[in-house]
Amino acid sequence: MLNFHLVKSQIDSMIRERKDFACELTDKITLAKEELKLKSEDWEELSRKVEESRTSWLVAGISSPPASAHPLPERPRNYTALSSDGSQIFPDRHEALPCYLINISSIALTYGDNAGAMLGSGPSLFYRDEDRFTIWGGKKIPADSEVISLKRTLMEFERILQLVKGNEADGNTIALSDGTLILWRLEASPPDFRDGIMVPFLRILDEFRTLRVPVAGYISYPGSTDVINALRVGLCPEKVSFCNQCPYTELPTLPCSPIEGLTDRFLFSTVLDTGEASAVFKSSSKILEMYGEHHIYFFYINIGEEIARVEVPKWVAEDGRLLSLVHTLVYDQAKKGKGYPVSIAEAHEQAVVKAKDRDFFFSLIREAMVKSGFAVTVSRKGLSKRVPGV
Amino acid sequence: MSGYIGEVVESGTKGFVARSPRVGEAPSFGSFVRTDSGSPVYGLVYEIITGSREPGRKPDAYDMSMEELKREQPQIFELLKTEFHVLTLGYLDRGKIRFALSPLPPPIHSFVLECTDEEKEALSSEDFFLRAIITSPNVPADDLIISSLLGAQRSRKNDKDFMVRMGKSLSRFLKDDYERLASILRRLL
Repeated sequence: MLNFHLVKSQIDSMIRERKDFACELTDKITLAKEELKLKSEDWEELSRKVEESRTSWLVAGISSPPASAHPLPERPRNYTALSSDGSQIFPDRHEALPCYLINISSIALTYGDNAGAMLGSGPSLFYRDEDRFTIWGGKKIPADSEVISLKRTLMEFERILQLVKGNEADGNTIALSDGTLILWRLEASPPDFRDGIMVPFLRILDEFRTLRVPVAGYISYPGSTDVINALRVGLCPEKVSFCNQCPYTELPTLPCSPIEGLTDRFLFSTVLDTGEASAVFKSSSKILEMYGEHHIYFFYINIGEEIARVEVPKWVAEDGRLLSLVHTLVYDQAKKGKGYPVSIAEAHEQAVVKAKDRDFFFSLIREAMVKSGFAVTVSRKGLSKRVPGV
Repeated sequence: MSGYIGEVVESGTKGFVARSPRVGEAPSFGSFVRTDSGSPVYGLVYEIITGSREPGRKPDAYDMSMEELKREQPQIFELLKTEFHVLTLGYLDRGKIRFALSPLPPPIHSFVLECTDEEKEALSSEDFFLRAIITSPNVPADDLIISSLLGAQRSRKNDKDFMVRMGKSLSRFLKDDYERLASILRRLL
């Protein structure tokens, strides 16, 4: 049981500290905005410096004036938005049989003259040894939440690809995914496991590229600081910054620290008007070294209610038509969804597996086992949680 | 199967609920319907509801015309459902309509069909349906009487004698409530 008296005093301290930080924020934002404008005049120099520097943070690669704001392109009258999301029931070793379930949704929304909607979801049950175990650094280990989540991500993209192939729309189609396209969690995994996810993932992106259907990852309320970090590199007095050899550590504050603590979202909320998109930046995530032609780029967009981050592969970022299609369609989708892309929101709604669904799922298994004459045994711990005594 | 107007999604002895195959379409209030189950159950539509398919979600206002909504927000029509509630009047017992509750409610997922003119005539040949309406606690009885009577009269090619006969029955059923009877009769003219 949670003691709310003790929690409340901790909540109060948290709010006090955040409030102090919010007061400092205004000055930091003004400074960051000035810095962004200034560096836009000589962005090639900042781009070179970012390229050559070695920092401990993720820094946005710059290939155009970073302060530029692109107005909202006109939306094509007819278009299709495709999306998918997943939800899962993780294996519970206290239950009668070891298995897990992944539910993947399919959303195809067509607008304009042939308007229509297709909403649905399909579950997959995993119970065989090859699904329940995975090879991790040469060892066979049980698939945990991390492994299942990555598998789920892969299934979501596979589903969107199927939707693209089954969709006979004209050129204006977008594939939208909730969250980042950067599978950074794989950075820490051993090559045998990593390749099992990454190779098929990149193959799916290859197909999207061949079909010329732009893929975009949509991040609401982003916490990323890539552009702020690039400006911090710009603030560094060194010609090239090497954070691990920083000569300013003796100073009371580091030259790069005045804008520390800001996120890109704060900065771009002062730069972009509703509908406008920022310059396109290159992500420097380490895992992207594996992405090749699909290296992930991103931009920020003011959708009115908030600043969102949109990630696209290199071949979208470098194709003017696809990029402006992503810009206008992401905005339209967010407008239709009252601040959050409607196709992604529906993908979530269709995929979601609620707590009561989970309970029913396990009771279905137990019931099926009883009917087939299996001896059903659940752990004492599982039983104790279900029927707590006094 | 085509040509059906609903599918039973909730079934009980006194009545059933059917889902319409198309959002916004349903048999009219007060119309006579039947199920296509082994032993058909006959009834009257007394409530039509269109709303969200999922209990946790409510339709929102979009400030758009129906045309615009279909073009720009096509998904909302997939998230809505239309259901109609039917009051049971009787069932088919060895080829004859019996004006009593069916021994078993219609099976879930049975299709619902609009009654033919012959069936409507048979169902309204006696005043049992009026009594069934008046004695049901949860239906808008007076309006249901009016709609079902007008519907029955149409299928009987505006038979005046029929209306007179039913009017007499109503005056008997509602002999203790003149105001209510008068209101119904005035609205039937």
